[in-house]
Amino acid sequence: MSPHVRVALVAATSALAMLVLWGPSPPSSRANGERDEETGGHAHVPAPLEYADAHVPPSVWTDPAMIARGREIYTARCAVCHGDSGDGRGPAGQALPLKPPDFRDRAGVAEMRDNYWFWRVSEGGQVEPFKGRGSAMPPWKGELSVEDRWAVMAYQHTFSGHDGPHVPWEHPESVAVGRDIYAMACLACHGADGRGDGSVGPMLSPRRAPQPRDFTGAEFKFRSTPSGQLPTTADLFRTVTEGIRSPGGPMTIGLHGHRIMPAFRHMPEEQRLEVVEYVKSLNRGFWDRTGVRSVVVPPPPPATAERLARGRQLYADAECLACHGAGGRGDGPSAPTLRDSRGLPIAATDLTRPERFKNGRRPDDVYRTLMTGLAGTPMPSYADALDPDQAWDLVHFVLSLSDARRAADGHTTPAPPGEGGSR
Amino acid sequence: MRAVLAGLGVGLISLGSPVAADEAPIAGTVKAVDMAARTLTLRTSAGGKTREVVVHLGPGVRIVRFVRAGEPGKGGFVEQPLALTDLRAGWVVSVEARHEGHREVAERVTVVIER
Repeated sequence: MSPHVRVALVAATSALAMLVLWGPSPPSSRANGERDEETGGHAHVPAPLEYADAHVPPSVWTDPAMIARGREIYTARCAVCHGDSGDGRGPAGQALPLKPPDFRDRAGVAEMRDNYWFWRVSEGGQVEPFKGRGSAMPPWKGELSVEDRWAVMAYQHTFSGHDGPHVPWEHPESVAVGRDIYAMACLACHGADGRGDGSVGPMLSPRRAPQPRDFTGAEFKFRSTPSGQLPTTADLFRTVTEGIRSPGGPMTIGLHGHRIMPAFRHMPEEQRLEVVEYVKSLNRGFWDRTGVRSVVVPPPPPATAERLARGRQLYADAECLACHGAGGRGDGPSAPTLRDSRGLPIAATDLTRPERFKNGRRPDDVYRTLMTGLAGTPMPSYADALDPDQAWDLVHFVLSLSDARRAADGHTTPAPPGEGGSR
Repeated sequence: MRAVLAGLGVGLISLGSPVAADEAPIAGTVKAVDMAARTLTLRTSAGGKTREVVVHLGPGVRIVRFVRAGEPGKGGFVEQPLALTDLRAGWVVSVEARHEGHREVAERVTVVIER
């Protein structure tokens, strides 16, 4: 046999082998579905913020009545695709380009967070990234109540063989990505266990407040939730994104625009959501609460002279000046005696410098601070003392204090962006 | 050397050939059923985009759904044939189709969700 013939035979054999191997795994469809998505299309991305607080009460997962209720619904509505045994091989599911997941996959189920799972059942394949992957999963939020969806999840969970509650402290792998980010970006200040006892934290503000947050406790300063409650996931996400401004400590003297906690807005959103999910996993209170209610911030009315005058009066009546001082410079008569809940001295905020407001300088931020208070600090919530209209009057007055300061300091123009001002 | 390159070329050409390129099903929501034209218009998503696909139903098309063999909610599933007139807008279906020119011609339509 000549060399040419041998080469031709080898080439032909190779081509034939490729065709044989390719047969059972055809290439992507032109309409939807991609071959690799049959196994990889169920990426456990973080649930969006509107679903991030939708945690399932831990007792649901092991409640026999809920599991029985879930079985009934699952058998009637889900099994045709997901299979009676949860193997993802229901007869209708086999016809789909993106195959249903196998709930018997213990590791795969363990990676799914409860809020992700609830989001998937609620919205089905109508949301990204699943929509773009050709998921045919219908949304069930219109047909199944919240409790029905929990029940279905509890029954699906039984296929995995795990007999405890489906929570992060049972499945650390569900927050592994966030844990890794935390270790790199947060641990130095907040500590290995999230108790706010990292080695660097105290150096930012020695023997004074603020100190890094103890995530395992009940006190979270920056919230949209009423006083005494844990923050929403969106609150935590906002803090991670925007950081916390401060006059600075000994390590940061002279750094313009210093934040005592860095802003992580340049970190990809998905990673910020992952680290927030990890932070929540350190505090079981996020799973024990029933319902999450945020303070509603109504649209701001215009800052008229009358409103500013009313705000000035409220500032006096509500005794804001006792701590913040008549001119708002944080030099009220009580200011030297203020301590936080850890017993550490804490400064009254200089209201003439909105750029240093820890909870944000936008009017909405100031309104939220007034109505929720700052847990663990002497700043109380005024939600029971002020109606929304009064709160806005006070917000307008507080934000006008920086203009007053600038005028007193000899400036004739309004504060530039990022340096306060009432606008 | 030329022979080796030719061999590699044959292999690469075969790798890029469109054998079985149309076998993945099309899943989507039925937007419209045209009895006269015997077509289904599906709203389907792929690659981050939503688009409409018109599927032609040939005379040999098989339309099926799955129902429980026993009393409701119990027993295994059995295939139940349907007529084109049974299909409704809003249902989720999966279609196995083949290319015929620029048309998608359904060979089998599986009803996934009726709603």
